[in-house]
Amino acid sequence: MNDKLMTLNLKIWRQKSAKHKGRMQDYKLSGVSPDMSFLEMVDLLNEQLVRQGDDPVAFDHDCREGICGMCSMMINGEAHGPSALTTTCQLHMRHFHDGDSIVIEPFRAKAFPVIKDLMVDRSAFDKVIQAGGFVSVNTGNPQDANNIPISKENADLAMDAAACIGCGACVASCPNASAMLFVSAKISQLALLPQGQVEAKARAESMVQKMDEVGFGNCSNHAECEASCPKGIDLSNIARMNREYFKAKFS
Amino acid sequence: MSTSSKLDSKIPEGPVQEKWDNARFKYKLVNPANRRKYTVIVVGTGLAGGAAAATLAELGYNVLSFCIQDSPRRAHSIAAQGGINAAKNYPNDGDSIYRLFYDTVKGGDFRAREANVYRLAQVSNNIIDQCVAQGVPFAREYGGYLDNRSFGGSQVSRTFYARGQTGQQLLLGAYSAMMRQVGKGKIKMFTRREMCELVLVNGKARGIVVRNLVNGELEKYSADAVVLASGGYGNVFFLSTNAMTSNCTAAWKAYKKGAFFGNPCYTQIHPTCIPVHGANQSKLTLMSESLRNDGRVWAPKAKGDKRPANEIPEEERDYYLERVYPSFGNLAPRDVSSRQAKFRVDEGRGVGATGFAVNLDFRDAIKRDGKNVIEEKYGNLFEMYERITGEDPYKVPMRIYPAVHYTMGGLWVDYNLQSTIEGLFVLGEANFSDHGANRLGASALMQGLADGYFIAPYTISNYLASTKLEKVDTENPAFKEALSATQKQTDKLLSIKGTRTVDQFHKALGHIMWEYVGMSRNEAGLKKAIKEIQQLRKEFWNDVNVPGDPNLVNTELEKANRVADFMELGELMARDALEREESCGGHFREEHQTDDNEAKRDDNKFCHVAAWEYTGDNKEPTRHVEELKFENVHLAQRSYK
Amino acid sequence: MSTVNKSIMAYFTTSVGKKQIMALTGLALSGFLLTHLLGNFLILVGADAFNMYAHTLTSNKLIYVAEAGLALIFLTHLGLAFNLTVENKKARPQSYYTKVRTGRGATLASVSMIYTGLVILGFLVSHLMHFKFGPVYYVEMNGTQVRDIYRVVIDYFADPLQAGWYVLAMITMAFHLGHGFQSTFQSFGFNHNKYSPLIKKLGITYAILVSAGFAGLSVWGYLQSSN
Repeated sequence: MNDKLMTLNLKIWRQKSAKHKGRMQDYKLSGVSPDMSFLEMVDLLNEQLVRQGDDPVAFDHDCREGICGMCSMMINGEAHGPSALTTTCQLHMRHFHDGDSIVIEPFRAKAFPVIKDLMVDRSAFDKVIQAGGFVSVNTGNPQDANNIPISKENADLAMDAAACIGCGACVASCPNASAMLFVSAKISQLALLPQGQVEAKARAESMVQKMDEVGFGNCSNHAECEASCPKGIDLSNIARMNREYFKAKFS
Repeated sequence: MSTSSKLDSKIPEGPVQEKWDNARFKYKLVNPANRRKYTVIVVGTGLAGGAAAATLAELGYNVLSFCIQDSPRRAHSIAAQGGINAAKNYPNDGDSIYRLFYDTVKGGDFRAREANVYRLAQVSNNIIDQCVAQGVPFAREYGGYLDNRSFGGSQVSRTFYARGQTGQQLLLGAYSAMMRQVGKGKIKMFTRREMCELVLVNGKARGIVVRNLVNGELEKYSADAVVLASGGYGNVFFLSTNAMTSNCTAAWKAYKKGAFFGNPCYTQIHPTCIPVHGANQSKLTLMSESLRNDGRVWAPKAKGDKRPANEIPEEERDYYLERVYPSFGNLAPRDVSSRQAKFRVDEGRGVGATGFAVNLDFRDAIKRDGKNVIEEKYGNLFEMYERITGEDPYKVPMRIYPAVHYTMGGLWVDYNLQSTIEGLFVLGEANFSDHGANRLGASALMQGLADGYFIAPYTISNYLASTKLEKVDTENPAFKEALSATQKQTDKLLSIKGTRTVDQFHKALGHIMWEYVGMSRNEAGLKKAIKEIQQLRKEFWNDVNVPGDPNLVNTELEKANRVADFMELGELMARDALEREESCGGHFREEHQTDDNEAKRDDNKFCHVAAWEYTGDNKEPTRHVEELKFENVHLAQRSYK
Repeated sequence: MSTVNKSIMAYFTTSVGKKQIMALTGLALSGFLLTHLLGNFLILVGADAFNMYAHTLTSNKLIYVAEAGLALIFLTHLGLAFNLTVENKKARPQSYYTKVRTGRGATLASVSMIYTGLVILGFLVSHLMHFKFGPVYYVEMNGTQVRDIYRVVIDYFADPLQAGWYVLAMITMAFHLGHGFQSTFQSFGFNHNKYSPLIKKLGITYAILVSAGFAGLSVWGYLQSSN
């Protein structure tokens, strides 16, 4: 354990609400322990701001164990910061050094309008799921779970895709603010399972259409989404979505 | 002690195996064409709330669904790692509905209602079928069939899992079912809302007041029934494995409106969490209990042995769980394992910089099975551990310490999951539930989904069909009253402008709770806790500093409202723990232990549920009793030796 | 319009449909480049062979159909590129204060597609102006008057600035093709952990070879005149 406390120069986006204009603001923060998580570092800043009677920095966070997908933040120009496969809440300050400057901004996309400071509205994702990110089965008595064997390979691939936490890092880091990694992860998960295949065509069409409608950009295969995804969702999911979509249109 | 006249558990007639069938047959039904005339409010979108909202909407009811996060997919059920139990007996190793029922009653240390637990075991199988049909990618074997593992000290492999993300996958299943209904217009979704008040009209739950967390507006919603699925209250300890927004406010406001609070002192302390690193820590991270299948728990034999773990020779290590519980060893139940860790630390044999930790060592498992096998099983957990601590558990033992994880207590409900307020149904962790005094691993997901998919939809339909519900809308004076009560509290909090932050108060409360109402409790400590909390409450209402604008996002105001309720609940927990003069499950009273430090129940005096009735601010609440009858599983002292 | 037609028309307006059309037109243009290059290599055989090849091509009436097709493909690729770029800019109205590439995803080639594309467009205009619509000399071959395109080429590359511009344009094109080629496969849904890295390599090899081929011919042209 490293007990050397750090002092950091923070540059943080402050914006009172969607209606207000925002700007970058500088803060100097000392007493940062390397064992803190990034969010605990912001907590520390907020504790100080509150003591001064200032408005604390609003940011989204909840489980703080990397699974709920609530935390976001562009840290020094990267979604969820510099560590691969890590959400902001699991990023630890030991990856920074005393005297570092850290720029913190909200995820930016037309489809993710800022609510306050670093907090953005990601309900566009819910809308895409509403368009078809489900199997149309009512609660009741479906057949026994073991009646449909599913190859371990496909079950594993479906699980890989299903690991998406819907945080929006893919959109934030995409130069085009495209949501294809998110959308394709759900399309893939369900296309890989027999339960989901029944509606595969309609799903691919309606989810893609909704994705475009809510204002996400287009994919030009940069793969920044995959690189910044904290859950390692693979680019092959987008390929599968492209395939599914093509099939839906022309077969 | 006999059951209070105010508590009618409504357990159906007949042998335990037939009770649920009998109940369902007797339930009144709502004609499909009439269902659209009813509206149900569901607060919370975790496994219980999400499943209930989706299912009620599928049946044709109008559902208003509320969640505190920006999307229903983020409810804290998502963080459950290990798995979900079901009595499928796919591995053919002797499981059955009856055995799951038996294990759950016994695991709960005989403080749960038999009828509820049996029903839970019955519907457990439907849950797996339902989730698979939704496309939940459970782990499978090479033959394509579902894989099961043994979990948390169970003697059979009945746990279904999806890597270390079972909660996430089940929640996303329920979420997708919800989203389908949102798309169809049957569910109206309200995100970033926090329930502030329950509204009663003529004694029945008819609506809620919520705060819109984006613009601070107080909003009123009316309905024919209200479902609370707002989760547990572990964050009363400040540090817990709960999410940051997990809170007790919805349940607490219901309590203050007349819903009894059941067994508030039953708290589950999870044995395998990553230890606290410092004063600025905001939450604790759980490491799945499955790690104990291969990891060996130990502490140095010598007190104050500060050598790095790998330098301590074999003969100077105390594998205390294996020593004390030779047959269960490292797989001893959660409460037992947690307490044993605390004993080691109390003896001065804790490890790590703070001394508040014990080792969980994979050295022998790696030697036996190879690193790749261990990696296959626990790779993601090891990575997570390394990410947080900066240490590689393949090379050095993990350090673990117990942390508050789950609260078995909650609003008291009858067999129909209805609280003591008519029309108020409480599901999942928010109710006092089927886990008695201790919850078994992989049972929380089972209970949440059982309540949401397969129980509440029947019991709520029955309520709607059999109750005369006059027309009520938000113009009703009861809504205005509830709204102004909330507004008053907001104004008050903003006007104090004291010197201490909300977190300072929350941490102080957490400290009292952990110290006196934590893993091990005694009379003097509990009395002290009650006094200290009362004092803290006074200071809070005089000295808290809540800055900012009430009409914008104001996280400090949100937290202040929650902490205000946590303090009142904390006091009730201490009170309940004080009254329960026995040790059972997660509740350990130092005065009541066997010669070898095991929990000692007192079935003569305490074989009952304690349900607390609110009697007014700063007035002592009334303790009611629901007697528990064990007709199938015979009362016996738990032994894991 | 029938619903089936409607649904297919919708394909041309969705993000996935558009990127597949980008991919398809891009792939067609890549194929054209390759045949163009192979044809150009005839210049190394000699003036007669090259002029004959050019004559045969241009005297076939089908060439108008082919050229129209090629133009359509090119204009589609171009039009969509502008459309997508505008849409993508709109998808992030406020840009970041600081944004870095992770280094694990986007490349210089991938983020500069629109710019390399614009250079190629400029190049194409100048290319057509100087060759297709450039000076016309005639030479007699086997009793027929054919255009002496060989001379146009040699004259043009005699200027080191013009030869240099061609080399630069081809380097730019290498970047464009380098991202474009592999991207085509991803857009049509081919992504395989065994084959995709191969395709990536193949794409880069293709990009370098084709661009180097054209650039090499420019240099060769320059050397011809300076000898």
